[in-house]
Formats: sequence, C-alpha cells, structure tokens
Amino acid sequence: MGKTSKDIGDLGEDRACEYFIQKGFKIIERNYRSQQGEIDIVARDGEFLVFVEVKNYSFRSYGSPLGAIGKNKRKSIIHAAQTYLYKNNIKDTNCRFDVVTIYHKHNGNCAIDYIKDAFYVG
Amino acid sequence: MLVKLKSSALNGLDGYIVEVEVDSYKGLPGQSIVGLPDAAVRESRDRVKFAIINSGFEFPPGYFTINLAPGDVRKEGPLYDLPIAIGILSSSSQIKSELSKDHIFLGELALNGDVRPVAGVLPICFSAKQAGIKQVVVSRDNADEAALVSGLEIIPVTNLKEAAEYLSGIINISPHRIDIHALFESNQEYELDFSDVKGQQHAKRALEIAAAGSHNILMVGPPGSGKTMLAKRIPSILPPLSLDEALEVTKLYSVTGLLSGKAALITRRPFRSPHHTTSNIGIIGGGRIPRPGEVSLAHLGILFLDEFPEFERKVLEVLRQPLEDGKVTVSRALASITYPAEFMLVAAMNPCPCGNYMDPVKTCVCPPYKLQRYWGKLSRPLIDRIDLHVEVPRLKKEELAAHPTGEPSKEIRNRVSAARKIQEERFKGTNIHSNSRMTPKQVREFCKLDEEAEAILKAAILHLKMSGRSYDRILKVSRTIADLDGSESIKAKHIAEATQYRSLDTKGGEYNV
Repeated sequence: MGKTSKDIGDLGEDRACEYFIQKGFKIIERNYRSQQGEIDIVARDGEFLVFVEVKNYSFRSYGSPLGAIGKNKRKSIIHAAQTYLYKNNIKDTNCRFDVVTIYHKHNGNCAIDYIKDAFYVG
Repeated sequence: MLVKLKSSALNGLDGYIVEVEVDSYKGLPGQSIVGLPDAAVRESRDRVKFAIINSGFEFPPGYFTINLAPGDVRKEGPLYDLPIAIGILSSSSQIKSELSKDHIFLGELALNGDVRPVAGVLPICFSAKQAGIKQVVVSRDNADEAALVSGLEIIPVTNLKEAAEYLSGIINISPHRIDIHALFESNQEYELDFSDVKGQQHAKRALEIAAAGSHNILMVGPPGSGKTMLAKRIPSILPPLSLDEALEVTKLYSVTGLLSGKAALITRRPFRSPHHTTSNIGIIGGGRIPRPGEVSLAHLGILFLDEFPEFERKVLEVLRQPLEDGKVTVSRALASITYPAEFMLVAAMNPCPCGNYMDPVKTCVCPPYKLQRYWGKLSRPLIDRIDLHVEVPRLKKEELAAHPTGEPSKEIRNRVSAARKIQEERFKGTNIHSNSRMTPKQVREFCKLDEEAEAILKAAILHLKMSGRSYDRILKVSRTIADLDGSESIKAKHIAEATQYRSLDTKGGEYNV
C-alpha cells in the first residue's frame, strides 16, 4: 500500500523536528490551528519565537519550493501566528518565519533545506 | 528605540524638511512606512533591507514603523532610502553615536549598499540652509551640485557602510568643496558660431535685434535655407548668464533630474527644441505633482519650435500665458506650483506644407485648402505676441558654393550686450529687464519718436492696416534697434526697419493666404 500525502506530511514534520532539535531549537507546539490558518511547528530559538512551515516534495522539477509558499499561504500563516501570540499572551518577543523544505527521495531518504527568516509581515 | 532624523522634500522649487522617525517593537517581523508615501517610497523597504544586509550589517528583528512627517503631504521619490536605512541602523544600535539634529540625509540605495544620486538636491540644499541645517549627507555624485550652496557642509558618501562609519565616528570624511567661480567661468564657450552660416544677412540682423531686446521671433523659409542652423546659434550671441541666473537655471534642471552625470552648474543659456509631437503638458509642465515643462527648462534661454504649425493647436495656445507673464502656474489636485519661464521664443516654419510656396526656383504643389489649414494653425493672438517675423529665403547658388564669411558670434554678442546694458539702466527699479516686456505705459514713456519717425509710422499703419497691438510691437522693436544703434531717441530709420519685421500682420502676410 502506498503512502498517503498525510503520511508524507507527518513524516516530513517529524524529520523537521529532529532537525531543529539537533540545531538546538526547543519545539513548543506542532500543528497549531487558528480559524484561518495553520502553523506546522512553533519553536524557540534563543530569544526568537520561530514559526515554521514545512513543505514536502517528491519531485524536484517544479522550481524553488519556496515559490510554493504563495501570498495566500503566507497570509494564513501570519494570521495563525498573530492568533497564537494573542491567545498565549506573548508580548515583547521577537518572532521569525522560517521555512523547511523536505525532498523525499524514492529510496526513502530525505534532503532538508532550511530557509531562515523566509518572509515578513506586509 | 525611537530615532528621529531629517530629510527633505520638494514643492516646486522650494524644499522643506521631512522628519523621518523610525521605531520598532518586538513581535512578528515586518515594516510599514506611513506619511503618505508614493510607490517609490514604499518600495524603499526592499532596497533598504538588502542594502543593510549587503553592507555587512544585520537587518534587525521586530516590526518597524517608519513615519515621514509632516503626515499630510504626499512624499515621492527614492531619496528617503538613505535616511530610513540610517534610522534603522541607529534604532538597532548598529550606529553607536547619537544623530545630530542639524543633518539632512538624501539618497537612493542600491541593493549592494551604494548610495545613488537623486533629483532636486540643489533646491533642497538652498531651502535646508534657510531652515538652519548645517550638514547634508548625499551621494558622491550629487556632491558637486550640493556644494554650490555656500555655508553648508556637504558630506559625500559612496555607500551605506561609509555613511554609517562616518556617523559612528569610525572614519572621517572631509566636507566637499568646489570653486563655484572657477566652475562658472570655465564653461562659457559655445561650439556653434554665427560665422558658420552662409548668407542670410537679413535674418542674422533680425536675430541680433531679437537677442538684444529679448524679442520673440518667427522665421519663415523653405527647407534647407538655414533656419535651424541659425536658431541653434542664438545662445552664442546672447549675453552670458550671471552667476545668480546660472543657479536659477540649474535649480530647474536639478528638479527635473536632468543634471546628473553632467557638470554641476549650468553656465550656458539653455536651448530647448522640443519635437512638434510634444504634448501641451510636456511644454507647460504637469504631472500629479507638477514638474517643469519645456518653457521652464528654456528659462533665460531659447525655446525653439521648429515646424511651428505642425505643433498641436492646443500646444500653441498654451504658450500664450508664459509668453505674456514670464512664468507659468500649473495647478493639480495635490499642488499648485509656479515655475519661471522667461524664455525667448524662436519659431521656424516653411511657407507651406510642401515648402516651396513663393519659391523662385521650385514649384509649390500644395492645394489652396492645405495652405489655408497650415497658416490657420497660427492664431492671431499668437502671431501678435511674436515681435519679429522674418523671411529666410533659399540660398543662391553662388552663396552656397562660397565659404561662410559671416561675422563671428563674439562681435554680435558685444553689440547685444551693449544694448542690454542700456536697457538695464532704463528699467532700473522696475521688474523688467528688456524692451520686449514693456507695458503699454512704459512704451509711451520710453519710446519717444521724432517727427519724421512719427510720419513714417502713421503711413505704415495706414497702408499696412495694422492693429493696435502691432503698433506697440513696432515701437518696442524700434526701441531695441535704436538701442543697438546707441541712439537716445527713435529715428525714422529705426521705425522703418522695425516695420518690415511685421510682415505677417495682414492675414497670411505677404504669403497672402
């Protein structure tokens, strides 16, 4: 039986978390949902609160994976981040939006690409 | 941390101080620019971000708000890049020392951090000095222009890093200075000379009179007779600009952004020859925030309109106000701005669309209705405002073959300058400088005729059926001719000569269309 895209997604997020823990980040929350958006991973990197979007790929032929995070996707991430900050009453903290792209090779291995400070609000 | 620094904006030819305030809070990353920025200002955040990173600094985290005060005036142009970048660096303590209140910053940033020149630096510096500013930080390419204003310390910077290090006190940049008088005198020669033009003594004489009294002139002649050649050489017989005049002209070019890459100071009289497809806005000036048009760029120089009747009718009619007032006021929703436009109009046209009407050698092929339409483009009020009408006939074979042997421009210029000096004396204490701008009252006061001259003028009016306005024009032109002659009163020969330059006063004139 083949993998569903959810399986691939979960696998990717697991890999991303491992990667971040290795880098010294503290994972705070996974799959945070607000009404209008979703954040794959919320983590802490020193003074920064980091909102991470994980993007999974099986093909490399469609250009930069970052290009797949379009305007609307960014909007929904930003919206979710705002909700998160508000609900948890987090103030006076520098935040960052990072993107991790994970390329799933056919032999089951992954290649991870990490883009720090990938985009910003308006 | 809140940081305040100063930059400047332009309203017409006047600059005013714009305060740039930068503050940030910790939170989601981003920035916004407020204070009615236009698209070029709003885009500055992308340039600023990369300029900061590529200059070896860190783009600070947090949400930045940049306020450009006063908040009710629209800000345009890329000149706020440098102050915004300095503000962000200072706000994140990457520039250590406190910023002085007597600085202004002007400059566009390249992505690699280089500071690029911007338009309007000269008028901004003039106004900044009046506002009590002591130091101006500008791009190195703008430094010469800025240094024309004495009493300001001009700090030229090549890139953002240099600016930041200067402000932190790490490096020292000595203020840029130029020798304005040497610059002014170095560049006053013209390449074109009247002696290059073959024949056309009559037209040359008319141009000399026009130059002496700053009269507008219309040249009519077949193609290839030398109209354009003559027109291009008029600046060389006009008296040189004074330093103040040169600065006035340079300001206009600075605002329009036509100065960059050239000499900092415009020392020669401008010669503008817009193509006949130019729109009326291109001629007069305009835009959302009005910019100077061709009439203002020709300020204190020549506006040459070749193929005069080929211009759109609208364009020709809008010339009437600046011709009359020497300035032009352009009103738009956002601003109403007055630019100076004291130019000498030099127009040239063919006698008919094909160019050969009344030609002794070639035959005209234009049907009469075409001739009528061609001449009909020139309205009476417009023709009335042109003091001299002169014919530039086709050159004869002998003239064409001969070497040009005309008088050099320098000699003509000496005569013109002498006549201008007489006029300066005459109009001392009034706000005009030349005979062409005399009011009807002044015409009666200064244009005294002797008896013989009076008789000739009367006869001319009777026979040539001239209008009241033409009468005044003849008197003004004859005043100039008398000045060239060094004569106190206007004599019969002066009137006689002036009369022959009104050939178009009867409709279509000698072309009888």
